[in-house]
Amino acid sequence: MTQREKTWLFITLAILAALALYPAFGSYSGVSGLRDILLFALFAVSLDLFWGRTGILSFGHATFFGAGAYGMAVMTIHLAPGAAWSSLAGLAFGVGLAGVIALAVGYFVIFGGVRGAYFTIVTLALTLIAQQIAIGWSSVTGGDAGLIGVPPLTLGLSITGKVFYYLVVAVLFGIVLALWAGLRGQRGLVLRAIEDDERKAQTLGYNTPLHLLAVFVLSGLIAGLAGALYVTGTGFVAPDMIALLLSTEVIMWVAVGGRGSLIGAVAGTMIVWRLQQEVSTLSASAWPLFIGAFFLAMVFFFPDGLPAAAQKLWTRWKGVKEGGAA
Amino acid sequence: MPDIVSLSLNALTLMSILMLVALGLAIIYGLMGIINLSHGEFVTIGAYTLFTVQAAGGSFWLALVVAPVVGYLLGTVLEITVIRRLYDRPISTILATWGLSLILQQAIILAYGAAPRPVTAPFEASVQVLGITYPAYRLFLIVFAFAVMAGCVLVFRKTPFGLDVRAVIQNAGMARALGVNAERVYRRAFASGAALAALAGVLIAPLVAVTALMGVNYLARSFFVVLVGGAGSIPGVVAGSAFVGGLESLLSTTVPITVAQASVLILAVVIVRFRPQGLVPA
Repeated sequence: MTQREKTWLFITLAILAALALYPAFGSYSGVSGLRDILLFALFAVSLDLFWGRTGILSFGHATFFGAGAYGMAVMTIHLAPGAAWSSLAGLAFGVGLAGVIALAVGYFVIFGGVRGAYFTIVTLALTLIAQQIAIGWSSVTGGDAGLIGVPPLTLGLSITGKVFYYLVVAVLFGIVLALWAGLRGQRGLVLRAIEDDERKAQTLGYNTPLHLLAVFVLSGLIAGLAGALYVTGTGFVAPDMIALLLSTEVIMWVAVGGRGSLIGAVAGTMIVWRLQQEVSTLSASAWPLFIGAFFLAMVFFFPDGLPAAAQKLWTRWKGVKEGGAA
Repeated sequence: MPDIVSLSLNALTLMSILMLVALGLAIIYGLMGIINLSHGEFVTIGAYTLFTVQAAGGSFWLALVVAPVVGYLLGTVLEITVIRRLYDRPISTILATWGLSLILQQAIILAYGAAPRPVTAPFEASVQVLGITYPAYRLFLIVFAFAVMAGCVLVFRKTPFGLDVRAVIQNAGMARALGVNAERVYRRAFASGAALAALAGVLIAPLVAVTALMGVNYLARSFFVVLVGGAGSIPGVVAGSAFVGGLESLLSTTVPITVAQASVLILAVVIVRFRPQGLVPA
């Protein structure tokens, strides 16, 4: 294990420990609020898996989160209301729906050779399509108002409160650690090779579209899981869970935490949510304005994310200090 | 028969607007390889220019002249302050122009409020065409938009500026070597695209609700026009607009409008798989 990996593992376990201890101190609403944020963090991890590891930016990841959310809601409210197994079926349906969309779109787009900025735009449009369907197909999705009355997650017994919180923490960190372990070896290296130069990787005999598609679908499945779990906590689903704004907010969460590290996405999500609570109280326009300014600032001042920029500043500052002493 | 006539005219209306909006996107993408996500806001700015001019007592025709000028000037400012610094970073351009789009939307909401703003068409009359009664304004819109497109084709084919644009689209390095000032071409093309979008905004405003968020609708469809039609070519834009506008109008007679839009976009993604360069590439 390299020094870098040790640091990563240390940070990850430290965050895990802090989250595990939180319910002992936090209030009931604090715990459920943090649970929702951790599910968004899982969503951010799913984007970081694709964007961070392949270098291709998806502008439509809310599609998968929303598919999971709507899948769960439609199954538990319309298809199998009141059944003991309806939560499980909803989980399977929501995650499956996200996976099928990722597979279908990913196949057409990735094997069609769409990369770079074009990929970003096509995925952006994907979110717009998904949102239009969510709003327009009101007999199933409830239209603009969404669907209310999603039951809490039931796996044999109803999972709510602190138990649900710990389940979410376990799922989030299970997935982060599993992805980290799974991408340490050759698979991770192939992805990095594709990010560096896809054609070269292809020449070396790797089926690069297949690799990209696999990561894209896995990423979609994780986002779907986050969405499906999220609505069992909130009890309702609405079109803003599948909207363009959410697609771009998740990019911000990942960028704040630094892309590629997975745990950075978790930290970034928590930081931005704290910030959003402060900024949103100012006015309805304040938060979108903040996001807009953030994207502009990111592009010009910290294109590799906040941690990389902070590290650069730190090195420079240390350099100045040492230079001054010499 | 009357159904077919009104259907075709509706399709032509949508197609006209899409052509004007998408032309800017297609040329900018073909020229610089960048995607401007704040392009839709220029449609919004055009529509609000119409509202402002009419609220101040001016006429529709005045707005039709003022809006492209406003669009051109704002486009120039945007090109110089943001786009120019990001030529070689396409993903960064997407993020920056997205940020800009959010800021512009909120700025418009802060200045004009979130509620739709009233604007009026220059004439309310309806006329008889091929056995049906159709609003005269929509006919004007179609004719005007096609005239503007024809003008763009002429600029593209016959003027020194058009020659430079075509040269840079074909091979930027070679054009530069032959003395074309590529940066100036970029700036002017970008500003012209913004002016066309603002013009489209004035034209569409009397037919839709004028709100700060109206641009997003046209942005997404215009991207599909460019995707389907092919970047950097005027025939591609016409073909793409006909595809997106025509199919959407056709489908919306039988299914809800949102489902029609969604189906068109899904079809466009499928087309991209088989013709990644678009129907009529540059």
